[in-house]
Amino acid sequence: MKRNNLLVAGTIVLSLLLAACGGPATTVAPVPTQPPAATQPPAPTQPPPTEAPTAVAPIRIGASLPLTGDFSEPGTAAQQGYEVWVEMVNEAGGLLGRPVELTVLDNASDQDTAVADYEKLITVDKVDLVVGPFSSRLVIPTSEVAARYGYAFVEPAGGAPDVFNRGLTNLFFAQPARGAQQADPFADYILSLPEDVRPKTFAVVSQDDPFALGVVERLKGQLTDGGLELVLDEIYAPETTDFSAIATQVADLDPDLIVGGTILEDSIGQIRAYQEAGYQPRGAFFTTGPSLPGPFREALGDATEGVFAAMSWFPEAEEYQNAEFVARYNEMFGGTPADIPEDAANAFTVGQVLQQAVGNTDNIDNAELIEELHEGVYQTVVGPLSFDEVGAPKGSFMILQWQGDTFVIVGPPGREQAEPIWPKPEW
Amino acid sequence: MGVRCEACVNLPSANVLIQVAIVGLLTGGVYALMAGGLSLIFGVLRVINIAHGAFLVFGAYLAYWLFRLYGLDPILSILITIPLFFLVGAVVQRTMLSRVRSEPGLFVLVTFALAITLEGIMGALWQSTGRSVRTAYTGEVIKLAVLDFNLRLPVVRIVGFGAAIAVLGFFHTLLLRSNLGRAIRATIQNSTAAQLVGVNVSRVQAVAFGLGLAAVAAGGSIFSLIWTFNAASHEEWISKMLSVIVLGGMGSLPGAFIAALIMGVVESVAAVTMTTYLSPIVFYLVLFLVLIFRPQGLMGTRIREG
Repeated sequence: MKRNNLLVAGTIVLSLLLAACGGPATTVAPVPTQPPAATQPPAPTQPPPTEAPTAVAPIRIGASLPLTGDFSEPGTAAQQGYEVWVEMVNEAGGLLGRPVELTVLDNASDQDTAVADYEKLITVDKVDLVVGPFSSRLVIPTSEVAARYGYAFVEPAGGAPDVFNRGLTNLFFAQPARGAQQADPFADYILSLPEDVRPKTFAVVSQDDPFALGVVERLKGQLTDGGLELVLDEIYAPETTDFSAIATQVADLDPDLIVGGTILEDSIGQIRAYQEAGYQPRGAFFTTGPSLPGPFREALGDATEGVFAAMSWFPEAEEYQNAEFVARYNEMFGGTPADIPEDAANAFTVGQVLQQAVGNTDNIDNAELIEELHEGVYQTVVGPLSFDEVGAPKGSFMILQWQGDTFVIVGPPGREQAEPIWPKPEW
Repeated sequence: MGVRCEACVNLPSANVLIQVAIVGLLTGGVYALMAGGLSLIFGVLRVINIAHGAFLVFGAYLAYWLFRLYGLDPILSILITIPLFFLVGAVVQRTMLSRVRSEPGLFVLVTFALAITLEGIMGALWQSTGRSVRTAYTGEVIKLAVLDFNLRLPVVRIVGFGAAIAVLGFFHTLLLRSNLGRAIRATIQNSTAAQLVGVNVSRVQAVAFGLGLAAVAAGGSIFSLIWTFNAASHEEWISKMLSVIVLGGMGSLPGAFIAALIMGVVESVAAVTMTTYLSPIVFYLVLFLVLIFRPQGLMGTRIREG
């Protein structure tokens, strides 16, 4: 009797563990099972029904995303962006007349799992194309897997310096500029302020994340070159949740400007701790967090006023397919345009780039695609994109600032919707 | 990385040190409530409940939900979550965990599976967005001028500390003054002897597991007031709680309380005297040192098993 109970319990545990660790694969889009054919009939306007014997083989695209673990939030957003693109492309007749089928594996924010996932997608599942995961930490090792097998690797969210300095030619970063250049327009703005209101001191408090560190390192250099003095430079581990001690130290030094290298939860944690510590800077910039309006506002309320961030995409921007993307996202996942994460738009951009590149080469040969991607200019929801020889995009981010119960674009000059507020009100 | 920071080597002022030590102490009180239930469960059942962190985050989500839907302050939601988690704990222990308790290794695996299951449920219910509760007093502080020091005590930490002490006091009284408490303490000391003098040990175990979860439910409500969390947060917090009860002495409630205060203070003082990055390591150094000289922890008792 006891042995039976143990067996039953053991089986339950094992199955639960397998279910949790095995990385559940989610597949969207129709699944016809014919082998690929050399030529295809003209594009159908609807995906073919699975039972139809004449159905064309789908183009299979694979990705591994952090759907659970530390990066689960942006990872899930990226999955949604990919899914919106798949729906839209299939409705419009697919790629080269073939329906698109997307397989997403969950890497639990773990580098080794992500690498294993791409190995599996390419060698076992034999997908036709792959698209990238979220964040530089996962992009760096997985892009090398894609390179080894000669796959083009268009990715939505890996823009750290180390992404581009490994001699890879198959990687393409589908945002307007390198991640580290995110804060360039903000640095320009600060240094353009009249001398009597320009900040004289600043502090940097950043998560140990290659993306966040890339941005703040570059910004640090630009601000100190511009004459500002760095008074505190702190790096904390990704699992840090309590910022009360460090905020006390920041308040003690009282720098004019605070720069946070954050993801989301830590931007909330930092701002709350600064409020409690009584620290009132003249300006505040956070790498990510303020651009996720729903959770940021819910957690901070009026403390958001005047906070700066950079972003690559904006729901109201008049860019190619942006309005369609916004409408379809809200239709599929609910909410309002303000709820759409930037990461979803970046993933959608990956789809747009891939779609146009495949259209230009007229096949899905990865070697030809890689060549094409180095040359073409692609219309996307973040504006026209092209890539240099290491796959870095050539363009500029926008800077946003919280004003009232939402944020507005305040730069770079020429793209602003409102005047920036300086100094920011107390939080 | 060319930019160097001159001020970074400066030691914090005495005012900063006192300030962070006091906030650390307040935080430690909340850690004590979170880890106390884990210690109680270990004391009575002699097993580790790996799902304790997941129940903590679940409690935080319930408090968040009650706040969003009904505007209920997380401190008041404790009155709802404590009985709820007590029942859940007693039922889970009676129907599921009691069957594997004789195999501590298997118990750990089953509670690990429970943690993963809870994480999945929480992810499905509340998505992966980081959540926290923002009440009217979030971000507010009480300013104190003591001697030459100007202190700023965050209201959420004071409220959290007060609630944690109140709940711990309630549990302490329950354990010391009631017959049930005496039965629990007898079982902690020696479950065989307790059984011989008429204690219904399996019932005591179910009650103890329920009480352990009730404590962590209260901890979760307070948690939602102070920190942000997501479905995966439990992994960091279970390791923190385990370290607390190892330092305090496995199964000892007063030990867990003292160890939690030590953790709160050491963490925050280390964060301002060295880099934030190294601060968690300092607590573990303290833990190793204590274990070298007192392998049973600060207040634990050595168990001789033959």
